[in-house]
Amino acid sequence: MRYGTTIVDDIGNEHPRRNLSLALKGEIEKRQKAEPNKDVARIKSEFESLTKSANDYDKSLADVRREEKAFLAKAPERKIGFEKTVTDRDAKIRKWCFEAMESAARAEFYGQHIELSYDYELLARQHRMIAEQLPDIASVRRKTLNELEEVTAELERAKQEDQSQAKAEFQQYRQDRLDQRKEEKANLKKLYKEGQISSKAFENEKRQRDLAASEDIRAKKQLLPVEMLSDRKRYLKHRLRHDEKQAITVLHSDIADLRRKTPIEISKRFPWVSYLTISVPGLGQLMLGQSVKSIFFFIGTLYAYLIAIPYALGRGNYRGQGIFGLISLAKGGSRLDRSDIFMIEGVIAIILLVIAFLIFYQSFRDVHKNEKRMIKGIRINNWFETRTVAKRSGFPYFASAPSALVTLFIVLLPIAVTVLISFTNYDPKHQSKFSWIGLANYKQIFLGEGIAGKPFWLITGWTVIWTLFATSLAIFIGFVLALLVNQDRIYGKRFFRTIYLLPWAVPAFITIMFFSIMFSPDGPLTNLLHQLTGQIINIKDSPWGTRIVLILLQGWLGSSYVFLLCTGILQSIPKDLYEAANIDGATGFQQTRHITIPILLFQTAPLMIGQYTFNFNNFSIIYLFNGGGPFEPSKYGNTAGSSDLLISYIYKLTIQKQFQGIGAAITMIVSLVLIFITWIGFSRSKSFREEKL
Amino acid sequence: MIKQKKKGLYLSDRPPLTPLKTILLAISYILLFAYVFVILWPLAQIVLSSFNGSQSQYIRIGGTYQFSFKHFKFLFEEKPFLKWVINTIVIAVATALLTLLFVSFTGYAYSRYRFKGRKASLMAIMLIQTIPTFVGIAAFYTLHSIISAAIPGFSRQMFLVLIYAGGGIASNTFILKGYIDSISTELDDAARIDGCGNFQVYRLIIMPIVRPMLAIIALWSFIGPFLDYMLPSIILGDPEQYTLATGLYTLINDSRNMHQPAFAAGGLLTALPIVILFIALQKQLVSGLASGAVKG
Repeated sequence: MRYGTTIVDDIGNEHPRRNLSLALKGEIEKRQKAEPNKDVARIKSEFESLTKSANDYDKSLADVRREEKAFLAKAPERKIGFEKTVTDRDAKIRKWCFEAMESAARAEFYGQHIELSYDYELLARQHRMIAEQLPDIASVRRKTLNELEEVTAELERAKQEDQSQAKAEFQQYRQDRLDQRKEEKANLKKLYKEGQISSKAFENEKRQRDLAASEDIRAKKQLLPVEMLSDRKRYLKHRLRHDEKQAITVLHSDIADLRRKTPIEISKRFPWVSYLTISVPGLGQLMLGQSVKSIFFFIGTLYAYLIAIPYALGRGNYRGQGIFGLISLAKGGSRLDRSDIFMIEGVIAIILLVIAFLIFYQSFRDVHKNEKRMIKGIRINNWFETRTVAKRSGFPYFASAPSALVTLFIVLLPIAVTVLISFTNYDPKHQSKFSWIGLANYKQIFLGEGIAGKPFWLITGWTVIWTLFATSLAIFIGFVLALLVNQDRIYGKRFFRTIYLLPWAVPAFITIMFFSIMFSPDGPLTNLLHQLTGQIINIKDSPWGTRIVLILLQGWLGSSYVFLLCTGILQSIPKDLYEAANIDGATGFQQTRHITIPILLFQTAPLMIGQYTFNFNNFSIIYLFNGGGPFEPSKYGNTAGSSDLLISYIYKLTIQKQFQGIGAAITMIVSLVLIFITWIGFSRSKSFREEKL
Repeated sequence: MIKQKKKGLYLSDRPPLTPLKTILLAISYILLFAYVFVILWPLAQIVLSSFNGSQSQYIRIGGTYQFSFKHFKFLFEEKPFLKWVINTIVIAVATALLTLLFVSFTGYAYSRYRFKGRKASLMAIMLIQTIPTFVGIAAFYTLHSIISAAIPGFSRQMFLVLIYAGGGIASNTFILKGYIDSISTELDDAARIDGCGNFQVYRLIIMPIVRPMLAIIALWSFIGPFLDYMLPSIILGDPEQYTLATGLYTLINDSRNMHQPAFAAGGLLTALPIVILFIALQKQLVSGLASGAVKG
């Protein structure tokens, strides 16, 4: 970076250089740029007078530095002098007074050298500010303390005096007021009984009378001398804490304003600190003088060197070898070493490393940015300013950090592991040690080969049929019921709504299991079918029987939800639409077709997409009704049954049969499809298109 | 005189019923009542068979009916039903509280603050919430043993709670963010001018307004563990730790321990409070669902 002939403060104002030797360097630099071929010695000779004044400047700056040192060294002496003049006894006030006097002295000293450097100007003005404001703060405290003392004394006195008369008066007032309230309430009750006011108004009025009475009594109680004084005392104590804090904050922010407006001149041209300290977050901040901030980054350093990196190298792992476990997958390890543990710990190691990397990167960027700002002439933030910024713009990060951590380890980590497992031969033969096999699982699935891959397409076919029919049936039933119930002439709407809510309100697993019982061989519904048709129909043994019953059952279960949603929307359709249609002579059927159904469809569309994805993954109904059966080993092999969906097939593969590798691959495919469908739903939703994120 | 006239006059707002409309109305009523029957019959069977003492292992409909509490007794005395109830309630309450804690912060931060990475992380949240929880089933079991080695005392139930709460963060953040977005920022600006900090603005201004939505989120997170069968069946090993769904399933899934009427009794006890809750709060629950699906 260049020296430049001027410097810029944080607000963007340009300032002339005060450090003349830096100004000289800037001029030379400028000349060199304008005429690159010119000899450096000759350029220098052109600036002879400037060089001379720069030398003078350096000399006088060195003198002032020496003076400053001597002046600062005398601070304790000056303090002894101040101590004689301050008569206060309160420690805080004394401290402030000393500080103010010392600041006044410093302001005077630095004020003589403003022309030499912006640092001196800042110091002079800053100390003047302290010298002006601190005495005020101190005097406010002094006054409040005095008052507090008086009030405390008075309170003691009041306590010792006889309170009985005042108390008796208060009790009398209280009794009177309560009696009055009773009377008012009795009047209200009479009005209510006579039917002049409604029950709601009666309740409200009663509550208001109660409130008014307790307010009055409290106000009267405050007038008791002891109450009044102790209230005053509490108030003063609060003032003491609060006012000081605020005044000091004001002082700090005034100083911060000064710092924004006063530039800084440094001789550094290249932001080397940030590069030098890249491996130790916190050190750079410390070197730039932001010591409190550096503590936080040092904690990050500790995390990186004591937790993340050792863990990634295999130290402190549960069983695995850190990041190397991902490559080896416990190959050749002892019997206790399990590949899946190695894999998970490898992923954890990566997550920890990524977090560590982010800390390093943030720290580097922070130091780098600040160094560049300093070279430009901007003063970097002191702790007060940093804290203010962090409170404002750092809050969202602090607030979402715990959620992000949980999401990272409980949601994303398992997903990542599943992705990885789908590329391994994790199956019954390779439970404790498995290895990478690339895309073999996916190949098996797509070609429909192998024990686990064979039924994949059959199951996919049924899953699609199931999703379409079960959801559409539920939507259809819910829709029709909503339209029927919401007709003008239907009475008992509440009754119907409550009943139709039930299939949704009763936990689905209970109804599913109960239906499963009723359809079991010799179950009540099987017997009923037997009586009706004369044949023994065992639903659970017939593939299509099971499938049809499942679809009907889901229609029964899912219609409630659709019904409730549609009812809500139907009620919110403005009535004037129908009135207008009536005037135009539309029949009821036309109204339904052209007003009701379009609005319903439009408003419920995203939710209906949600219903389809829900049924695509509807594990419980399949698993709990018939365990995915009936089983047809010739078609499905011995894992899946003919009513299994992809999700229950995954469950069986991973949990029961331990074909985790293939199961994970199927999971991946299913998730990708789901994400795609949901994404379409999202991207069409209103809020997304309006970019109102 | 007016009264006399009223008898002969048609005074309703609606057009008079034509014969065709009368028939249609009758058909509507027939359909509605038929569906009422379709809903009530199976549910009634659950209630009836749970009190029918003449059944032993299997549910019988028809035949002799003998009112008794013996299936309920069986549940409480022979099976750890009470334990299942307590487990489920503990998990449900913990899930609801944890979800509220996480989501209040994230929803507030995403709605009210503009920060770097906001849009990117919102996109990520959207993507994450489309991935179903079952994706991780292969990893959950092992992950639990690793975490419990690092943090002693980290039980399977706690893990389940974390999965429920963690899985709900994404979608619930969206719901709450959308709700907070609809509140004018003038209120918080005013509060900030009066000297409120970040937390105070949330606690004093935002929270009272979004309380209905928080209640819905809490309610749904609370109900979730009552309805889920899959995750507890994978993660919880011991019948003593089971939740209601997994516990009740043990009553009907193998023929040796089969006790169907007891299942009906347990189902009744489980369903009753939830049904009452749903009926009482149906409006709020539905609106919560709707806003959840539209996603802000």
